[in-house]
Amino acid sequence: MIRNALMVSVLLAAGSWAQQPTLSVSGANFRPTPLAVAVPVAQDDGAKKAAAELDGALAFDLEASGLFQMIDRKSFLSDAKEGVTATSITFPNWVNVGAESLVKTQLSSDGDALRADLRLFNVNAGREVLKVSEAGTLKDARRLAHKLANAVYKEFAKETGPFESKIAFVRRSKEGKDVYLADWDGRGAVALTSGSVNVLPAVQPSGAVGFTSYRRGKPEGYLWRQGNVTPLVSSGRMVSGLAFSPDGKRLAYSVSDGEHAEIFIAAADGTNPVAATDTKFFLNSSPSWSPDGKRLAFVSNRSGTPQIHVMNADGSGVERLTFQGNYNTTPAWSPRGDVIAFTARDERNAFDLFTVDVATKKIKRLTQDAGSNEEPSFSPNGRLILFTSTRAGGQQLFVMTADGTVQLALPAGMSDVSTPDWGP
Amino acid sequence: MTAAAESLLRPRPSKLVPFFMASLAGHAGLVGAALLFSWLWGAPIHALDQKPITASLVRLGKPRDEKLLPRKEEPPPPPPPAAAKPVDVPAPVPAPAAVAIPTKDAKPEPKKPADTKPAKDTKKSLFDALNKTARAAPAEELEGAADGDADGDSAKQEGERYFALLTAVVKRNYDVSSSIEEAERRRLRATVSMRIGPNGQLLDVNLSKPSGNELFDDAVVGAVKRAAPFTAPPAHLRDDLKKTGIGIEFTP
Repeated sequence: MIRNALMVSVLLAAGSWAQQPTLSVSGANFRPTPLAVAVPVAQDDGAKKAAAELDGALAFDLEASGLFQMIDRKSFLSDAKEGVTATSITFPNWVNVGAESLVKTQLSSDGDALRADLRLFNVNAGREVLKVSEAGTLKDARRLAHKLANAVYKEFAKETGPFESKIAFVRRSKEGKDVYLADWDGRGAVALTSGSVNVLPAVQPSGAVGFTSYRRGKPEGYLWRQGNVTPLVSSGRMVSGLAFSPDGKRLAYSVSDGEHAEIFIAAADGTNPVAATDTKFFLNSSPSWSPDGKRLAFVSNRSGTPQIHVMNADGSGVERLTFQGNYNTTPAWSPRGDVIAFTARDERNAFDLFTVDVATKKIKRLTQDAGSNEEPSFSPNGRLILFTSTRAGGQQLFVMTADGTVQLALPAGMSDVSTPDWGP
Repeated sequence: MTAAAESLLRPRPSKLVPFFMASLAGHAGLVGAALLFSWLWGAPIHALDQKPITASLVRLGKPRDEKLLPRKEEPPPPPPPAAAKPVDVPAPVPAPAAVAIPTKDAKPEPKKPADTKPAKDTKKSLFDALNKTARAAPAEELEGAADGDADGDSAKQEGERYFALLTAVVKRNYDVSSSIEEAERRRLRATVSMRIGPNGQLLDVNLSKPSGNELFDDAVVGAVKRAAPFTAPPAHLRDDLKKTGIGIEFTP
């Protein structure tokens, strides 16, 4: 027994002497993954009708995510009729166009029902890494695409994607302004109000939408829930800027009497309002909750010019965050908690978007030299920012990554749009 | 002492047993001492959630007013367009000179002065001369070696040249998905083992120590695959690279 043990230890030692040399490589180039999204394969005529819509929505979601560098389809070497399984794909063709990942989708229909099978491949390894099947109706091809995009997003980012969430925004109408609720890409928009001036929507975690309306003359808070609009906050003074806490249980808003504006915190149904600020002769507005619901970002001109401040939800611990620029407004606290995005007017009188780090107060610029960019709102996971921009003409909805690297117009292409809010 | 006791055939207790026992005790003592040493005077514990230090050099120029909002770093200006090569346009055929028909009242045309050469542009010629001088001056040469590599980034050779070549070519292909979170990146470490044939071809590659992050692990294997085929290894390394192979430890 002891002799056997001795023999094993000698062999192990001999093995370690023959160990291979090891080099060290560092300095990785972190960059978006080159992704090829093949044209969906439609197996029947019904699926063919839905293919273009699903394809467009899927490609837009993946591109807007900022995780991928989309490879131009014109460069594809593989035939559009190439199979959708690992054994039928010529992976070298995809390697040669620079792809590292490949998405293949197959569609089939049965009456009004549509089924989509998405496969994600690691091109270098030549293997399938994800297979997702989703079913819906032919009319819902775009929403099916959002589900598939979320699955791909999760595979890479290891967290839920934002592509099945809803956004609210305001659009100018003949009678005034109306609040709309739409899918995240601006499509499928439904008007929640009709007539009068309705602005500053805020999506509650439950799906209800709060907004400010001038329907009774003065601005007051209202709530839209499943088609019904009911008064939410009516203080006798001017109410604006509703913001629901992340848990949906509390409501912050601004009340103004013309001389000064204060921020109030109330229950989600508008009851038990308590003033969180009390600064005579100054304006405090645009509250935005921190993700833990313990603090609020807001705009205050108590230092002379509108600047971004933070405070505890009870009004204590007020701290000024921005000291650069003299017109900083519309704060939106990232759901990741680290930064607050805001609109600022710079020394060239251009409105652009910035973030300020809550801990270090360091300001980073996100947009520049591309029209007026205003009113940021974070996606539920904090990775994307919805905003308005005039860079393409009228005021339209745009989306960008939280670091500003990828900026795209929403495909809905609506103009005269303002104050977007990205709901859960 | 009896003859039986002196007999060589009599089983005696082996002296190896106490030797192994002593050796075992000695090794156990050494391991214990090493553990105690590392516990008392070991390396400091690295805080994985610590933010990385970022440092940058400020460029020469006028400082921006600290009260102004920051501007995005402008990309460097594009290189000046190359001087357009003059296109050889065939000279138009001169129209035949119109023959002036003399009339009675016509006055004789004043004689055109002879074509004079354009005034010499002194500034232009000065710039031309300076440009010529600049072109004639040899570019400042970086220190290196006569048999150095185009990708080399060091003035002196250090270690095995072939390994440096491998490192450089793999590093050029070391692309990783940016979807990996910053916090996650700091803990990534993976080792790839590969064997290289006598002509530099990649015989096989595998992940000998995965990082645990699938995206990173795929990226490091992909970096080696994209870097292949390599330069043929030198004679003294061929056998080792083919049989034993070589490992590459990747860190971000």
